[in-house]
Amino acid sequence: MRFVPRLPTMLSRTLRCCGTVGLLAGLLAGCATPPPADNPDAVAEFKQTNDPLEPTNRVFYAVNNGLDTVILRPAALVYRAVVPTPVRTGVHHVLNNLGTPVQLANDLLEAKPHRAGNTTMRFLINSTVGLLGVLDVAKGWGYPDHDADFGMTLAGWGVPEGPFLFLPVLGPTDPRDTAGFAVDIALDPFTWVGGDNEWRRVFDWTRYGLSALDGRERVLDSLDQVKKTALDPYATFRSLYRQHRQGQIDEMRNADQPSAPGQGSQPAGADQNK
Amino acid sequence: MPNRRQFLTMTAGLVLAAGRWPAVLAQGSETATAFVASTGDKLVAVVNGPGTLAEKRRQLTQIVDGAVDVDTIAQFCLGRFWRQATPAQQKSYVELFHRVLVTNITAKVGEYKGVKFTIGRSRAQDDDEIVSSLVERPNNPPTNVDWVVSNPTHNPKIIDVLAEGTSLRLTQRSDYASYLSHNNYDVAALIAAMRQQAEQNKE
Repeated sequence: MRFVPRLPTMLSRTLRCCGTVGLLAGLLAGCATPPPADNPDAVAEFKQTNDPLEPTNRVFYAVNNGLDTVILRPAALVYRAVVPTPVRTGVHHVLNNLGTPVQLANDLLEAKPHRAGNTTMRFLINSTVGLLGVLDVAKGWGYPDHDADFGMTLAGWGVPEGPFLFLPVLGPTDPRDTAGFAVDIALDPFTWVGGDNEWRRVFDWTRYGLSALDGRERVLDSLDQVKKTALDPYATFRSLYRQHRQGQIDEMRNADQPSAPGQGSQPAGADQNK
Repeated sequence: MPNRRQFLTMTAGLVLAAGRWPAVLAQGSETATAFVASTGDKLVAVVNGPGTLAEKRRQLTQIVDGAVDVDTIAQFCLGRFWRQATPAQQKSYVELFHRVLVTNITAKVGEYKGVKFTIGRSRAQDDDEIVSSLVERPNNPPTNVDWVVSNPTHNPKIIDVLAEGTSLRLTQRSDYASYLSHNNYDVAALIAAMRQQAEQNKE
Protein backbone atom coordinates (compact mmCIF):
# COMPACT_ATOMS: atom_id res chain seq x y z
CA MET A 1 0.00 0.00 0.00
CA ARG A 2 1.03 3.59 -0.41
CA PHE A 3 2.94 4.81 2.61
CA VAL A 4 1.66 8.09 3.94
CA PRO A 5 4.16 9.85 6.16
CA ARG A 6 3.18 12.28 8.86
CA LEU A 7 3.94 15.70 7.49
CA PRO A 8 6.76 17.02 9.64
CA THR A 9 7.20 20.75 10.03
CA MET A 10 10.15 20.93 7.67
CA LEU A 11 8.33 19.09 4.92
CA SER A 12 5.38 21.35 5.40
CA ARG A 13 7.73 24.33 5.03
CA THR A 14 9.22 22.77 1.89
CA LEU A 15 5.77 22.26 0.44
CA ARG A 16 4.83 25.87 1.19
CA CYS A 17 8.04 27.02 -0.49
CA CYS A 18 7.36 24.78 -3.49
CA GLY A 19 3.81 26.08 -3.56
CA THR A 20 5.12 29.63 -3.90
CA VAL A 21 7.52 28.56 -6.64
CA GLY A 22 4.65 26.68 -8.23
CA LEU A 23 2.44 29.74 -8.18
CA LEU A 24 5.17 31.74 -9.91
CA ALA A 25 5.79 28.94 -12.39
CA GLY A 26 2.05 28.72 -12.99
CA LEU A 27 1.85 32.42 -13.70
CA LEU A 28 4.79 32.12 -16.08
CA ALA A 29 3.77 28.90 -17.78
CA GLY A 30 -0.01 29.27 -17.71
CA CYS A 31 -2.54 26.77 -18.99
CA ALA A 32 -2.44 24.43 -21.93
CA THR A 33 -3.73 25.93 -25.19
CA PRO A 34 -6.55 23.84 -26.65
CA PRO A 35 -6.11 22.80 -30.28
CA PRO A 36 -8.10 24.75 -32.93
CA ALA A 37 -11.80 23.89 -33.09
CA ASP A 38 -11.51 22.87 -36.78
CA ASN A 39 -9.49 19.82 -35.69
CA PRO A 40 -12.18 17.80 -33.84
CA ASP A 41 -9.94 14.74 -33.34
CA ALA A 42 -7.30 16.88 -31.62
CA VAL A 43 -9.96 18.63 -29.51
CA ALA A 44 -11.38 15.25 -28.41
CA GLU A 45 -7.87 14.06 -27.56
CA PHE A 46 -7.19 17.24 -25.59
CA LYS A 47 -10.36 16.70 -23.54
CA GLN A 48 -9.56 13.04 -22.98
CA THR A 49 -6.02 13.83 -21.82
CA ASN A 50 -7.61 16.17 -19.23
CA ASP A 51 -4.39 17.98 -18.41
CA PRO A 52 -5.31 21.68 -18.67
CA LEU A 53 -2.34 22.70 -16.49
CA GLU A 54 0.13 20.75 -18.61
CA PRO A 55 2.70 23.55 -19.05
CA THR A 56 2.86 24.09 -15.27
CA ASN A 57 2.84 20.37 -14.60
CA ARG A 58 5.77 19.93 -16.97
CA VAL A 59 7.74 22.58 -15.05
CA PHE A 60 7.22 20.62 -11.83
CA TYR A 61 8.04 17.38 -13.59
CA ALA A 62 11.35 18.89 -14.70
CA VAL A 63 12.08 20.15 -11.16
CA ASN A 64 11.18 16.81 -9.56
CA ASN A 65 13.11 14.91 -12.19
CA GLY A 66 16.19 17.09 -11.55
CA LEU A 67 15.96 16.54 -7.78
CA ASP A 68 15.46 12.84 -8.34
CA THR A 69 18.47 12.61 -10.63
CA VAL A 70 20.84 14.29 -8.20
CA ILE A 71 19.43 13.16 -4.82
CA LEU A 72 16.84 10.39 -4.64
CA ARG A 73 18.00 8.05 -7.41
CA PRO A 74 21.67 8.04 -6.28
CA ALA A 75 20.53 7.54 -2.68
CA ALA A 76 18.33 4.60 -3.75
CA LEU A 77 21.25 3.09 -5.69
CA VAL A 78 23.46 3.32 -2.59
CA TYR A 79 20.65 1.86 -0.46
CA ARG A 80 20.38 -1.10 -2.87
CA ALA A 81 24.15 -1.59 -2.97
CA VAL A 82 24.78 -1.33 0.77
CA VAL A 83 21.71 -2.90 2.39
CA PRO A 84 21.16 -6.63 1.70
CA THR A 85 17.87 -7.67 0.10
CA PRO A 86 16.41 -9.42 3.22
CA VAL A 87 16.99 -6.27 5.29
CA ARG A 88 15.40 -4.07 2.60
CA THR A 89 12.42 -6.44 2.47
CA GLY A 90 12.14 -6.23 6.28
CA VAL A 91 12.20 -2.44 6.15
CA HIS A 92 9.46 -2.49 3.49
CA HIS A 93 7.32 -4.74 5.66
CA VAL A 94 7.78 -2.55 8.76
CA LEU A 95 6.79 0.58 6.82
CA ASN A 96 3.78 -1.27 5.42
CA ASN A 97 2.78 -2.40 8.90
CA LEU A 98 2.97 1.17 10.23
CA GLY A 99 0.53 2.18 7.50
CA THR A 100 -2.03 -0.44 8.52
CA PRO A 101 -4.27 1.87 10.64
CA VAL A 102 -4.82 4.21 7.67
CA GLN A 103 -5.45 1.18 5.47
CA LEU A 104 -8.00 -0.18 7.93
CA ALA A 105 -9.80 3.17 8.21
CA ASN A 106 -10.13 3.28 4.43
CA ASP A 107 -11.26 -0.35 4.18
CA LEU A 108 -14.10 0.56 6.55
CA LEU A 109 -14.91 3.81 4.73
CA GLU A 110 -15.00 1.82 1.48
CA ALA A 111 -17.46 -0.60 3.14
CA LYS A 112 -15.16 -3.58 2.55
CA PRO A 113 -15.55 -5.69 5.71
CA HIS A 114 -13.60 -8.65 4.33
CA ARG A 115 -10.66 -6.42 3.47
CA ALA A 116 -10.94 -4.69 6.86
CA GLY A 117 -10.77 -8.10 8.55
CA ASN A 118 -7.72 -9.00 6.50
CA THR A 119 -6.01 -5.74 7.43
CA THR A 120 -6.76 -6.24 11.14
CA MET A 121 -5.43 -9.80 11.08
CA ARG A 122 -2.35 -8.67 9.17
CA PHE A 123 -1.63 -6.00 11.78
CA LEU A 124 -2.15 -8.35 14.73
CA ILE A 125 -0.10 -11.21 13.26
CA ASN A 126 2.73 -9.19 11.74
CA SER A 127 3.13 -6.91 14.80
CA THR A 128 3.57 -9.95 17.07
CA VAL A 129 4.65 -13.16 15.30
CA GLY A 130 6.11 -11.01 12.53
CA LEU A 131 8.45 -9.26 15.00
CA LEU A 132 7.01 -5.72 14.89
CA GLY A 133 6.23 -6.05 11.21
CA VAL A 134 9.65 -7.15 9.97
CA LEU A 135 8.21 -10.40 8.60
CA ASP A 136 5.02 -10.64 6.58
CA VAL A 137 3.84 -13.84 8.26
CA ALA A 138 0.17 -12.98 7.67
CA LYS A 139 0.42 -13.35 3.91
CA GLY A 140 1.48 -16.97 4.25
CA TRP A 141 -1.42 -17.51 6.64
CA GLY A 142 -3.97 -16.42 4.05
CA TYR A 143 -4.20 -12.69 4.70
CA PRO A 144 -2.75 -11.01 1.61
CA ASP A 145 -2.07 -7.29 1.44
CA HIS A 146 -4.08 -4.87 -0.69
CA ASP A 147 -4.15 -1.17 -1.51
CA ALA A 148 -6.40 1.22 0.39
CA ASP A 149 -6.11 4.99 0.70
CA PHE A 150 -8.54 7.89 0.88
CA GLY A 151 -8.08 8.75 -2.81
CA MET A 152 -9.44 5.28 -3.61
CA THR A 153 -12.18 5.73 -1.00
CA LEU A 154 -13.29 8.96 -2.70
CA ALA A 155 -13.30 7.14 -6.05
CA GLY A 156 -15.49 4.44 -4.49
CA TRP A 157 -17.87 7.17 -3.35
CA GLY A 158 -18.15 8.39 -6.94
CA VAL A 159 -15.88 11.44 -6.73
CA PRO A 160 -14.28 12.05 -10.16
CA GLU A 161 -10.48 12.21 -10.39
CA GLY A 162 -10.36 15.67 -11.98
CA PRO A 163 -7.52 16.99 -14.12
CA PHE A 164 -4.03 15.55 -13.96
CA LEU A 165 -1.59 17.32 -11.63
CA PHE A 166 2.15 16.99 -11.17
CA LEU A 167 3.03 18.46 -7.78
CA PRO A 168 6.39 19.19 -6.18
CA VAL A 169 7.52 16.32 -3.92
CA LEU A 170 4.24 14.41 -4.38
CA GLY A 171 4.76 13.88 -8.11
CA PRO A 172 1.92 12.65 -10.36
CA THR A 173 -1.53 13.03 -8.82
CA ASP A 174 -4.96 14.59 -9.31
CA PRO A 175 -7.22 16.71 -7.07
CA ARG A 176 -8.94 13.58 -5.70
CA ASP A 177 -5.67 11.90 -4.73
CA THR A 178 -4.21 15.15 -3.36
CA ALA A 179 -7.23 15.51 -1.07
CA GLY A 180 -6.87 11.81 -0.25
CA PHE A 181 -3.23 12.30 0.69
CA ALA A 182 -4.14 15.08 3.13
CA VAL A 183 -6.99 13.07 4.70
CA ASP A 184 -4.74 10.01 5.07
CA ILE A 185 -2.31 12.12 7.09
CA ALA A 186 -5.21 13.14 9.35
CA LEU A 187 -6.34 9.50 9.62
CA ASP A 188 -2.88 8.33 10.67
CA PRO A 189 -2.70 7.83 14.47
CA PHE A 190 1.02 8.66 14.31
CA THR A 191 0.03 12.20 13.34
CA TRP A 192 -1.69 12.68 16.68
CA VAL A 193 0.11 10.55 19.28
CA GLY A 194 3.53 10.95 20.85
CA GLY A 195 3.65 14.71 21.39
CA ASP A 196 6.40 16.92 20.08
CA ASN A 197 9.83 15.83 21.29
CA GLU A 198 13.24 14.73 20.00
CA TRP A 199 12.30 11.02 19.76
CA ARG A 200 9.21 11.91 17.85
CA ARG A 201 11.17 13.92 15.29
CA VAL A 202 13.72 11.10 14.92
CA PHE A 203 10.89 8.60 14.38
CA ASP A 204 9.13 10.81 11.82
CA TRP A 205 12.23 11.55 9.80
CA THR A 206 13.45 7.95 9.90
CA ARG A 207 10.07 6.76 8.70
CA TYR A 208 9.86 9.44 6.02
CA GLY A 209 13.44 8.95 4.81
CA LEU A 210 13.20 5.16 4.72
CA SER A 211 9.87 5.23 2.92
CA ALA A 212 11.34 7.53 0.25
CA LEU A 213 14.38 5.25 -0.14
CA ASP A 214 12.28 2.08 -0.11
CA GLY A 215 9.75 3.40 -2.61
CA ARG A 216 12.40 4.72 -4.98
CA GLU A 217 14.60 1.62 -4.76
CA ARG A 218 11.68 -0.63 -5.72
CA VAL A 219 11.12 1.25 -8.98
CA LEU A 220 14.76 1.94 -9.90
CA ASP A 221 14.80 -0.34 -12.94
CA SER A 222 11.26 0.49 -14.09
CA LEU A 223 11.78 4.28 -14.00
CA ASP A 224 15.15 4.00 -15.72
CA GLN A 225 13.47 1.95 -18.43
CA VAL A 226 10.66 4.50 -18.94
CA LYS A 227 13.07 7.42 -19.14
CA LYS A 228 15.23 5.53 -21.59
CA THR A 229 12.49 4.33 -23.92
CA ALA A 230 9.76 7.02 -23.85
CA LEU A 231 9.76 9.83 -26.39
CA ASP A 232 7.79 11.94 -23.91
CA PRO A 233 8.45 10.60 -20.38
CA TYR A 234 6.04 13.12 -18.81
CA ALA A 235 3.13 11.86 -20.92
CA THR A 236 4.17 8.28 -20.26
CA PHE A 237 4.21 8.79 -16.48
CA ARG A 238 0.83 10.53 -16.73
CA SER A 239 -0.64 7.52 -18.51
CA LEU A 240 1.03 5.00 -16.18
CA TYR A 241 -0.17 6.85 -13.07
CA ARG A 242 -3.79 6.96 -14.23
CA GLN A 243 -3.84 3.34 -15.36
CA HIS A 244 -2.23 2.16 -12.12
CA ARG A 245 -4.72 4.07 -9.95
CA GLN A 246 -7.65 2.87 -12.04
CA GLY A 247 -6.38 -0.69 -11.61
CA GLN A 248 -6.23 -0.27 -7.82
CA ILE A 249 -9.73 1.27 -7.76
CA ASP A 250 -11.19 -1.51 -9.95
CA GLU A 251 -9.63 -4.12 -7.68
CA MET A 252 -11.09 -2.38 -4.62
CA ARG A 253 -14.57 -2.25 -6.23
CA ASN A 254 -14.42 -5.96 -7.09
CA ALA A 255 -13.18 -6.94 -3.64
CA ASP A 256 -15.50 -8.53 -1.07
CA GLN A 257 -17.56 -9.99 -3.93
CA PRO A 258 -16.63 -13.68 -4.05
CA SER A 259 -17.85 -14.16 -7.61
CA ALA A 260 -16.64 -10.80 -8.90
CA PRO A 261 -15.00 -10.94 -12.31
CA GLY A 262 -11.26 -10.43 -12.20
CA GLN A 263 -10.88 -11.68 -8.66
CA GLY A 264 -9.93 -15.13 -9.76
CA SER A 265 -7.39 -13.77 -12.19
CA GLN A 266 -4.64 -13.21 -9.68
CA PRO A 267 -1.80 -15.62 -10.21
CA ALA A 268 -0.38 -17.55 -7.33
CA GLY A 269 1.77 -15.22 -5.32
CA ALA A 270 -0.10 -12.09 -6.32
CA ASP A 271 0.22 -9.21 -3.89
CA GLN A 272 3.74 -10.33 -3.12
CA ASN A 273 5.00 -6.94 -4.10
CA LYS A 274 2.70 -5.07 -1.79
CA MET B 1 -42.74 -18.18 -40.47
CA PRO B 2 -41.24 -21.36 -39.00
CA ASN B 3 -43.65 -24.11 -37.93
CA ARG B 4 -43.50 -25.75 -34.53
CA ARG B 5 -41.12 -28.54 -35.60
CA GLN B 6 -38.75 -26.07 -37.23
CA PHE B 7 -38.95 -23.89 -34.16
CA LEU B 8 -38.10 -26.82 -31.89
CA THR B 9 -35.21 -27.82 -34.17
CA MET B 10 -33.87 -24.26 -34.16
CA THR B 11 -34.21 -24.01 -30.39
CA ALA B 12 -32.46 -27.35 -29.93
CA GLY B 13 -29.72 -26.18 -32.27
CA LEU B 14 -29.27 -22.94 -30.32
CA VAL B 15 -29.19 -24.83 -27.02
CA LEU B 16 -26.62 -27.25 -28.41
CA ALA B 17 -24.57 -24.37 -29.81
CA ALA B 18 -24.75 -22.57 -26.48
CA GLY B 19 -23.75 -25.79 -24.75
CA ARG B 20 -20.67 -25.95 -26.91
CA TRP B 21 -19.52 -22.45 -25.89
CA PRO B 22 -17.97 -23.42 -22.56
CA ALA B 23 -15.99 -26.15 -24.32
CA VAL B 24 -14.79 -23.72 -27.00
CA LEU B 25 -13.91 -21.11 -24.38
CA ALA B 26 -12.10 -23.67 -22.24
CA GLN B 27 -10.16 -24.80 -25.29
CA GLY B 28 -9.18 -21.18 -26.05
CA SER B 29 -8.15 -20.67 -22.44
CA GLU B 30 -5.99 -23.82 -22.41
CA THR B 31 -4.36 -22.98 -25.73
CA ALA B 32 -3.67 -19.39 -24.67
CA THR B 33 -2.23 -20.49 -21.31
CA ALA B 34 -0.02 -23.11 -22.97
CA PHE B 35 1.07 -20.55 -25.56
CA VAL B 36 2.01 -17.92 -22.94
CA ALA B 37 3.70 -20.53 -20.75
CA SER B 38 5.77 -21.78 -23.66
CA THR B 39 6.67 -18.23 -24.80
CA GLY B 40 7.55 -17.21 -21.25
CA ASP B 41 9.68 -20.32 -20.73
CA LYS B 42 11.52 -19.64 -23.99
CA LEU B 43 12.19 -16.02 -23.00
CA VAL B 44 13.40 -17.02 -19.54
CA ALA B 45 15.59 -19.80 -20.96
CA VAL B 46 17.34 -17.30 -23.24
CA VAL B 47 17.72 -14.66 -20.51
CA ASN B 48 19.11 -17.14 -17.97
CA GLY B 49 21.01 -19.23 -20.47
CA PRO B 50 24.58 -19.05 -21.75
CA GLY B 51 25.69 -17.02 -24.75
CA THR B 52 26.81 -13.50 -25.48
CA LEU B 53 24.48 -10.54 -25.26
CA ALA B 54 24.36 -10.30 -29.06
CA GLU B 55 23.35 -13.96 -29.37
CA LYS B 56 20.69 -13.54 -26.72
CA ARG B 57 19.27 -10.53 -28.53
CA ARG B 58 19.09 -12.48 -31.78
CA GLN B 59 17.26 -15.34 -30.04
CA LEU B 60 14.88 -12.97 -28.24
CA THR B 61 14.08 -11.22 -31.53
CA GLN B 62 13.09 -14.58 -33.02
CA ILE B 63 10.81 -15.34 -30.07
CA VAL B 64 9.18 -11.89 -30.22
CA ASP B 65 8.66 -12.21 -33.99
CA GLY B 66 6.95 -15.56 -33.56
CA ALA B 67 4.79 -14.80 -30.54
CA VAL B 68 3.88 -11.10 -30.72
CA ASP B 69 1.54 -9.49 -33.26
CA VAL B 70 3.86 -6.52 -33.68
CA ASP B 71 2.03 -5.03 -36.71
CA THR B 72 -1.32 -4.89 -34.89
CA ILE B 73 0.26 -3.33 -31.80
CA ALA B 74 2.12 -0.81 -33.95
CA GLN B 75 -1.05 0.24 -35.72
CA PHE B 76 -2.92 0.56 -32.41
CA CYS B 77 -0.16 2.70 -30.91
CA LEU B 78 -0.30 5.22 -33.75
CA GLY B 79 -4.07 5.59 -33.21
CA ARG B 80 -5.83 8.03 -35.52
CA PHE B 81 -2.52 9.08 -37.06
CA TRP B 82 -2.27 5.71 -38.82
CA ARG B 83 -4.89 6.89 -41.33
CA GLN B 84 -3.08 10.18 -41.85
CA ALA B 85 0.30 8.55 -42.53
CA THR B 86 1.33 7.85 -46.13
CA PRO B 87 1.93 4.19 -47.08
CA ALA B 88 5.68 4.87 -47.04
CA GLN B 89 5.40 6.41 -43.55
CA GLN B 90 3.32 3.45 -42.34
CA LYS B 91 6.00 1.06 -43.60
CA SER B 92 8.87 3.00 -41.97
CA TYR B 93 6.88 3.36 -38.76
CA VAL B 94 6.09 -0.36 -38.44
CA GLU B 95 9.73 -1.28 -39.14
CA LEU B 96 10.95 1.17 -36.51
CA PHE B 97 8.27 0.11 -34.03
CA HIS B 98 9.43 -3.46 -34.37
CA ARG B 99 13.03 -2.43 -33.81
CA VAL B 100 12.19 -0.26 -30.81
CA LEU B 101 10.02 -2.99 -29.24
CA VAL B 102 12.72 -5.63 -29.57
CA THR B 103 15.39 -3.20 -28.31
CA ASN B 104 13.21 -2.29 -25.32
CA ILE B 105 12.63 -5.93 -24.43
CA THR B 106 16.24 -6.94 -24.86
CA ALA B 107 17.84 -3.73 -23.54
CA LYS B 108 18.30 -5.05 -20.03
CA VAL B 109 18.88 -8.70 -20.83
CA GLY B 110 22.25 -8.84 -19.13
CA GLU B 111 20.90 -7.48 -15.86
CA TYR B 112 17.96 -9.84 -15.52
CA LYS B 113 19.79 -13.11 -15.19
CA GLY B 114 17.91 -15.11 -12.56
CA VAL B 115 14.45 -14.11 -13.77
CA LYS B 116 11.57 -16.42 -12.75
CA PHE B 117 8.25 -16.80 -14.54
CA THR B 118 5.17 -18.39 -12.93
CA ILE B 119 2.03 -18.83 -14.98
CA GLY B 120 -1.31 -18.10 -13.27
CA ARG B 121 -4.96 -18.28 -14.23
CA SER B 122 -6.57 -17.04 -17.40
CA ARG B 123 -9.82 -15.31 -18.25
CA ALA B 124 -11.67 -14.41 -21.44
CA GLN B 125 -12.19 -10.79 -22.48
CA ASP B 126 -14.27 -10.32 -25.62
CA ASP B 127 -12.54 -12.44 -28.27
CA ASP B 128 -9.19 -12.40 -26.47
CA GLU B 129 -7.81 -14.42 -23.60
CA ILE B 130 -5.86 -12.83 -20.74
CA VAL B 131 -3.27 -15.06 -19.09
CA SER B 132 -1.87 -13.95 -15.73
CA SER B 133 1.68 -14.53 -14.61
CA LEU B 134 4.11 -13.50 -11.93
CA VAL B 135 7.51 -12.32 -13.07
CA GLU B 136 10.31 -12.19 -10.51
CA ARG B 137 13.49 -10.34 -11.42
CA PRO B 138 16.52 -10.02 -9.17
CA ASN B 139 16.51 -6.79 -7.16
CA ASN B 140 12.92 -6.03 -8.15
CA PRO B 141 9.60 -6.66 -6.40
CA PRO B 142 7.59 -9.47 -8.05
CA THR B 143 5.39 -8.07 -10.82
CA ASN B 144 1.95 -9.29 -11.86
CA VAL B 145 2.05 -9.46 -15.65
CA ASP B 146 -1.05 -10.23 -17.74
CA TRP B 147 -0.62 -11.31 -21.37
CA VAL B 148 -3.44 -10.47 -23.76
CA VAL B 149 -3.68 -13.17 -26.43
CA SER B 150 -5.71 -12.75 -29.62
CA ASN B 151 -7.18 -15.70 -31.59
CA PRO B 152 -6.55 -17.97 -28.58
CA THR B 153 -7.91 -21.10 -30.26
CA HIS B 154 -6.43 -21.01 -33.76
CA ASN B 155 -3.48 -18.66 -34.06
CA PRO B 156 -2.55 -17.23 -30.66
CA LYS B 157 -0.50 -14.01 -30.70
CA ILE B 158 0.32 -11.59 -27.90
CA ILE B 159 -1.31 -8.20 -28.58
CA ASP B 160 -0.71 -6.48 -25.21
CA VAL B 161 1.14 -6.89 -21.93
CA LEU B 162 -0.33 -5.52 -18.69
CA ALA B 163 2.28 -4.95 -15.98
CA GLU B 164 0.55 -4.31 -12.62
CA GLY B 165 -2.55 -3.28 -14.55
CA THR B 166 -0.77 -0.84 -16.86
CA SER B 167 -1.11 -1.64 -20.55
CA LEU B 168 2.02 -1.54 -22.66
CA ARG B 169 0.19 -0.50 -25.82
CA LEU B 170 -2.02 2.12 -24.13
CA THR B 171 1.04 3.68 -22.51
CA GLN B 172 2.93 3.64 -25.79
CA ARG B 173 -0.03 5.19 -27.58
CA SER B 174 -0.15 8.04 -25.00
CA ASP B 175 3.56 8.60 -25.49
CA TYR B 176 3.27 8.87 -29.27
CA ALA B 177 0.06 10.94 -29.14
CA SER B 178 1.69 13.44 -26.79
CA TYR B 179 4.83 13.62 -28.92
CA LEU B 180 2.74 14.24 -32.04
CA SER B 181 0.58 16.91 -30.37
CA HIS B 182 3.74 18.82 -29.46
CA ASN B 183 5.19 18.42 -32.95
CA ASN B 184 2.37 19.73 -35.20
CA TYR B 185 0.83 16.25 -35.52
CA ASP B 186 3.61 15.43 -37.96
CA VAL B 187 4.09 11.65 -38.38
CA ALA B 188 7.43 12.28 -40.11
CA ALA B 189 8.70 13.97 -36.91
CA LEU B 190 7.60 10.95 -34.86
CA ILE B 191 9.38 8.57 -37.23
CA ALA B 192 12.55 10.69 -37.01
CA ALA B 193 12.38 10.66 -33.20
CA MET B 194 11.84 6.88 -33.14
CA ARG B 195 14.79 6.40 -35.47
CA GLN B 196 16.98 8.53 -33.22
CA GLN B 197 15.79 6.61 -30.15
CA ALA B 198 16.48 3.25 -31.80
CA GLU B 199 20.01 4.38 -32.64
CA GLN B 200 20.63 5.68 -29.09
CA ASN B 201 19.39 2.51 -27.41
CA LYS B 202 21.17 0.13 -29.73
CA GLU B 203 23.63 -0.79 -27.02
